[in-house]
Amino acid sequence: MIAAYLSSMVRRFLRRATMEREIEEELQSHVQLRADALESSGLERAEAERRARIEFGSRVRFKEECREAMGGNAIEEATRDVRFSLRSLRKSPGFSVVAIITLALGIGATVATFSVVNTVLLRPFAFSHPEKLLWIYSQRSDNPRTNFSMPEYCDYRDQTTSFESLAGVASFNPSFADSGPPERVQGVRMSASAFAMLAVRPVLGRTLIAEDDLNGARGVVLISYGLWSRRYARDPAVIGRAVNLNGETREIVGVLPASFALPNLDTEIVVPLQPDADPRRNVRNSVNFLRMVGRLKPNVMPQQAHAELEAIRQNLQRQYPGIYTGKIGLTVVSLTEEIVANIRAVLLTIFCAATAVLLVGCVNLAGISLSRAAARQRELAVRTALGATRGQLTRLLLSESFVLALVGGSLGIFLEMWGQRALLRLVPTDLPRIESFSFDWTVLLFACALIFLAALVCGIAPAWLLSRSDLREALVSRGRGSTGGGLQARLRTWLVSSQIALALVLLANAGLLLQSFVRLSSEQAGFDPSGVETIRFSLPQTGYDDVGTIVRFYDQLHSRASAITGIKRDALVSILPLAPKSISFVHFTRPDRPPARPKDTPSTNYRVVTPDYFQTMGIPLLKGRNFTESDDADHPPVAIVSTIVAKDHFSDRSPIGHQILVDDTDHDPRLVQIVGVVGPVKQTNLETPAKADIYLPLRQMPKDGVPWLRNSAYGVVKTSAGAAGLERLLRDTIQNVDPNVAVGAVRPMSEAVTAALAARRFSLLLVGSFAGAALFLAAAGLYGVISYGIQQRNREIGVRLALGATRARILRMIFKEGAVLLAAGILAGFAIALGLARLVASQMYGVNEHDPFSFAMVGLILSVILFLACGVAARRAMNIDPMVSLRCE
Amino acid sequence: MSEEAELLPGTLDLLILKAVSLGPLHGYAVLSRIEQISGQRLFVEQGALYPALFRLVRQGLLRTEWGKSENNRRAKFYELTTKGRKRLQEETVWWKRASAAVSTALAARPQQA
Repeated sequence: MIAAYLSSMVRRFLRRATMEREIEEELQSHVQLRADALESSGLERAEAERRARIEFGSRVRFKEECREAMGGNAIEEATRDVRFSLRSLRKSPGFSVVAIITLALGIGATVATFSVVNTVLLRPFAFSHPEKLLWIYSQRSDNPRTNFSMPEYCDYRDQTTSFESLAGVASFNPSFADSGPPERVQGVRMSASAFAMLAVRPVLGRTLIAEDDLNGARGVVLISYGLWSRRYARDPAVIGRAVNLNGETREIVGVLPASFALPNLDTEIVVPLQPDADPRRNVRNSVNFLRMVGRLKPNVMPQQAHAELEAIRQNLQRQYPGIYTGKIGLTVVSLTEEIVANIRAVLLTIFCAATAVLLVGCVNLAGISLSRAAARQRELAVRTALGATRGQLTRLLLSESFVLALVGGSLGIFLEMWGQRALLRLVPTDLPRIESFSFDWTVLLFACALIFLAALVCGIAPAWLLSRSDLREALVSRGRGSTGGGLQARLRTWLVSSQIALALVLLANAGLLLQSFVRLSSEQAGFDPSGVETIRFSLPQTGYDDVGTIVRFYDQLHSRASAITGIKRDALVSILPLAPKSISFVHFTRPDRPPARPKDTPSTNYRVVTPDYFQTMGIPLLKGRNFTESDDADHPPVAIVSTIVAKDHFSDRSPIGHQILVDDTDHDPRLVQIVGVVGPVKQTNLETPAKADIYLPLRQMPKDGVPWLRNSAYGVVKTSAGAAGLERLLRDTIQNVDPNVAVGAVRPMSEAVTAALAARRFSLLLVGSFAGAALFLAAAGLYGVISYGIQQRNREIGVRLALGATRARILRMIFKEGAVLLAAGILAGFAIALGLARLVASQMYGVNEHDPFSFAMVGLILSVILFLACGVAARRAMNIDPMVSLRCE
Repeated sequence: MSEEAELLPGTLDLLILKAVSLGPLHGYAVLSRIEQISGQRLFVEQGALYPALFRLVRQGLLRTEWGKSENNRRAKFYELTTKGRKRLQEETVWWKRASAAVSTALAARPQQA
């Protein structure tokens, strides 16, 4: 009906010029014909025409009436509708203000969440035909997402026929220096051919080309949009600038678009992989550090490609027995899926919650305008009597809600733009692609559609009521609004029940998220973050070629740090706990119990530490001894394992004193002796149960690990209570030891714990406040319908009281009505919530998505609050004086 | 009382439909036809005719076509649609009933009340 109204408005507007000409011509023709008639009765032609014009009357007025009869001038008509709506809305400012605020908040919140969804999920990726791009991990028995070694990658690349091209990607976090102070950046090394394959358009300069990958090519680097903005204030002259990465000079040749993202990798910088220049190119046994990304050839299905890669893998395993132990397959996923898969459910939940609040708000308004329409039936009936058609009245009611939605919506969009910064502060920082966040056409279009739909939801119920009621009768019945009253009341109860249902769904969802959050935050991470500060640094490429130089650096640092008051302990570690993007593990075996098959070789997280690490982090030493400074190259190699290793592999005996084979070099596994057992630590995130850990002393680390540790290591310090201003001091201390060390930010360890909960906190906060808003609106809706019912039945209640009904009885009657609405809403809400459980299942932790306790609690809370609303409304009924209400009639 | 009767509100549409039912007419001819079939007793204000015609067209009761008048002037001709014909029948029945009722009422004598 409304679409037809709008389209006919447009059509009429387009036809307007022709129509105007036709009216003019027709009236002119009429005057001529009349003049002909007068002329034939004997008048002069001139006199006849004059007379004809006079007889015709005001041509301007009739033309205007004709236009109106034809549907009139679209613009004029619309302005008239709007003017009229404004006038009638001004007459009830309370309703108008409530409606505009409800709509502004609802639309603002929905548009805001949509703009995040749009940025992260909907915007096109920086890649062309992303559906043909696959992201490939090596699969192990205990981890489906691990890396390949360089020779392995080259074999896949050279043998595959399914891919147009197959690129290798490795994380690369060098120190980045130009004229300013060096900083650690997080980026990747990536096959230069990848860019032709991904078809990424640079913001500035160029991306990588095949030549960049050749051995001995000039050193180049791409920088991210974020780094470009942060470090260079988007200076276009950055192209061609020389920068120093880990002591190597490279030229900035391009700036990547903000939407460029790779799964689980930061891409502040990208440098060419240069596989042939890599010292590990032909070392079969070398470290696994690469993931692969490939573009499928046309007509090749992902399954076919997977099968082919699997065949290559099995071939390699046969060809090099013992090298690829533990690798049991490949994990092949869509590149874009891998980027957004984790966050999709979270964002969609939040978006649905916001939409639901808007819907509840609109339903509330629909309920109110329904009552208004009923109260206005007399006015509408008078209008009908004065010649307004039913269509015109419908249009009037709809245009009122359109005006409200437009004002509220515009205010909402304004709020959204204004609140964007606050929103972005709430968003977890590791949300992919969020740095390209902006308000764009898609969002604007969405906002317009939302306004339109909101207007429809708010306005359709009263319009429908109007179409069903007999207005002539309303005029006769002295405007008590009795006609359509039953229908009106029924409609309102439906609306309120649906509000209650929606509020329940939101509350149930928020309740489940809250429980998950509480359970997760009470999870033991295995260490004590209080007072622990961390600092990430990377050593320069030159001057740190062996273990001895790194140890010397550490010794100097240690002696200076211990001298600082406020620092109780300090230590070094290769990777901090709760580091979701870092993977570092080794295979190990008990020599007396070799695995049955090579692929059963167990693996464990691998950390290189200095002796004070466990005490600094508060990781309990449960058995045996700690490392000491004398566990060095001149003494037999030792290791400390976590209880998980002890439990899984030493159920028959104490691991202390036992030797195991650790495969942490580019050569054969080496024997180390277990000297201690420490508590388990969550190395990846809070959700993933603690896995096996093995710790090795820095002084005994293998030489092959030097580039790895040099690239990235963390200092951790335990500060005494109240120590402040350590940040500067720590950075200075490191740079005093060696000014060429790139130092990252000092972060409290507690921040890592907070970050591990960030995404959940975000969705809990938003879904929780949306649920609160929905609950409030539902309570208001119920209050409205109950008190309206009381008002309508004022006389009936008066009669009952006069006939001796007790007030308690009246109260019971009112509550019974409320209870029916509530029960209907809650039942429907439970049904919807259970149906939607699948959506939130992936966000649950330690609680079932059908958790009966949560549902019961939520139902209880909802009932209590809604009964309160009922009670407030009922108090009005209690104040009814039977005498007054009977006389009122 | 003059022989010319004032047009009752709401009857203009009915009269137009009736006039046009006898064959396609242009606007001026509709006026003449109404005067003619009412025995020169009903006269329609010339300008007021057109809004009514346009309204009937919009309601789909009439359709229009440009043509030549008898004295060769370009004019817009109106013709009844099927819907219009049906409406005419209904309205005629309704009018007869209503006017009969009003006549009966007016013919009532005091003792009958």
